Amino acid sequence: MTLSILNSQFSIPPRRRVAITGIGIVSCLGNGAAETLDAVRNARSGIRWLESIDATQLSCRIGGEVPAPAHEGLHRGHDRFTRLALIAAEEAASQANFSALGIDPDRCGCLIGTGLGGCETSDAGYKRIYKEGTTRVMPTTIPWSMYNAAASAISTKYGAKGVAYAVVSACASSAHAIGLAALAIRSGQADAMFAGGADAPLTFGIIRAWESMRVLAADDDPARACRPFSADRKGLVLSEGAAVFVLESLENALRRGQPVLGEILGVGATSDAGHLTDPSADGAARAMRMALADGSIDPREVGYINAHGTATLANDATETRAIKAVFGDHARRIPVSSTKSMHGHAMGASGAIEIATSLIALSAGVIPPTINLDRPDPECDLDYVPNAPRAGSAQYFLSNSFGFGGMNAVVAVRAGSVLSS
Amino acid sequence: MTRSELDARLIAIVRKEKTIPEDKLAPETSLADAGIDSLDALTILFAIEEEFGIHIPDGRARSMKTFADMADAVAAELKIEK
Repeated sequence: MTLSILNSQFSIPPRRRVAITGIGIVSCLGNGAAETLDAVRNARSGIRWLESIDATQLSCRIGGEVPAPAHEGLHRGHDRFTRLALIAAEEAASQANFSALGIDPDRCGCLIGTGLGGCETSDAGYKRIYKEGTTRVMPTTIPWSMYNAAASAISTKYGAKGVAYAVVSACASSAHAIGLAALAIRSGQADAMFAGGADAPLTFGIIRAWESMRVLAADDDPARACRPFSADRKGLVLSEGAAVFVLESLENALRRGQPVLGEILGVGATSDAGHLTDPSADGAARAMRMALADGSIDPREVGYINAHGTATLANDATETRAIKAVFGDHARRIPVSSTKSMHGHAMGASGAIEIATSLIALSAGVIPPTINLDRPDPECDLDYVPNAPRAGSAQYFLSNSFGFGGMNAVVAVRAGSVLSS
Repeated sequence: MTRSELDARLIAIVRKEKTIPEDKLAPETSLADAGIDSLDALTILFAIEEEFGIHIPDGRARSMKTFADMADAVAAELKIEK
């Protein structure tokens, strides 16, 4: 066999482009794009006193609960994290005109990230066994609490019969899921994907476990509790929610004349291979560089970064160092915000919620703020869009997600329509 | 409790767990015909066991095909005569 035959056999076809045609989001800021945008425009926090559980015995009694009217009575017969995922998927499917996708069901998949799976269900089961002393738990305990329950529910509801599974990497889960879904379309494994994340960790047991790590902000004023990049930040605020996208090959979106809301351009994923819980600037920086290279994006073209910005002492300074390492002098010219200051830390759903929030805001000409930032930490010296949103836009943005375990995922996104470019 | 009182309570439990049309609740109706899948059946049985504080043995639970089978199993545990 000659070399020329080998070359012709292995010639690389042009890379398939991945369009975003549907966005669905439900968080403590509300249900859907309109309520999310309203919160961002008004720099409004969704953090409140916990209502859905009895928190009187907890030290931390605040969190980012999805408001009851946004989810009550919807999609019964699942764990809370799956119900939230189904709410988000419904908005995305409707916007993407999913029923007119025109794709073989075998070529439509579903990847949903989650950090903790069905906490409500497992918590209820443990309570029965260990606290109440009963010998048996609900028969749905296993299938509702399993981490792939949300992916299964969405796949079933919409008849998406291609590749489907859950993606787990703590707080980076949904960013990894979206990245993998884009790679699935690029590689030809699928032509369309539901992709996103869901988590509902506001249970007694999970909050107790986070309390033990001493990284939760417990403030007397819930809306002020989460203060990313601030000198007086006290830690993260747990929250819940889901965001789901409909992704499809750009050619399919163009063929069916479906409006394109954005494009997944690049995916960066790295491991710190360092400490279980202490983040590394190097791992974060390598993930950002990888996303930029994968998307063939010049760093100077990046117009916005949605930071991981957890408001823990460790993350915010480390992430700032990483951004400066990647972008050099340009770093100070990029608006960088932590929308977690408003919607809290929804664990594995964070990346998806943050990409959705960024897209929704940027396409409305709004750069999301970092609220509760009156006095920045001297180690955090970038433009964090403090306290108020800013009029503006960005063609390219990065969304950073860094999970415990040292697992980092960065997604590079083009905001807005991509019809000609 | 008489058998007919038991049947009425069982129907109420079933309908609380799952929406089932009136004409699909006859004793001889198969659970599958009533739209009750295997996971639904487990959930309904669990609710019944909770309500009456009983435990239906696994073998008996696995062989239930109709509402009558379910009611017979509960009646046996509660020692209620037909």
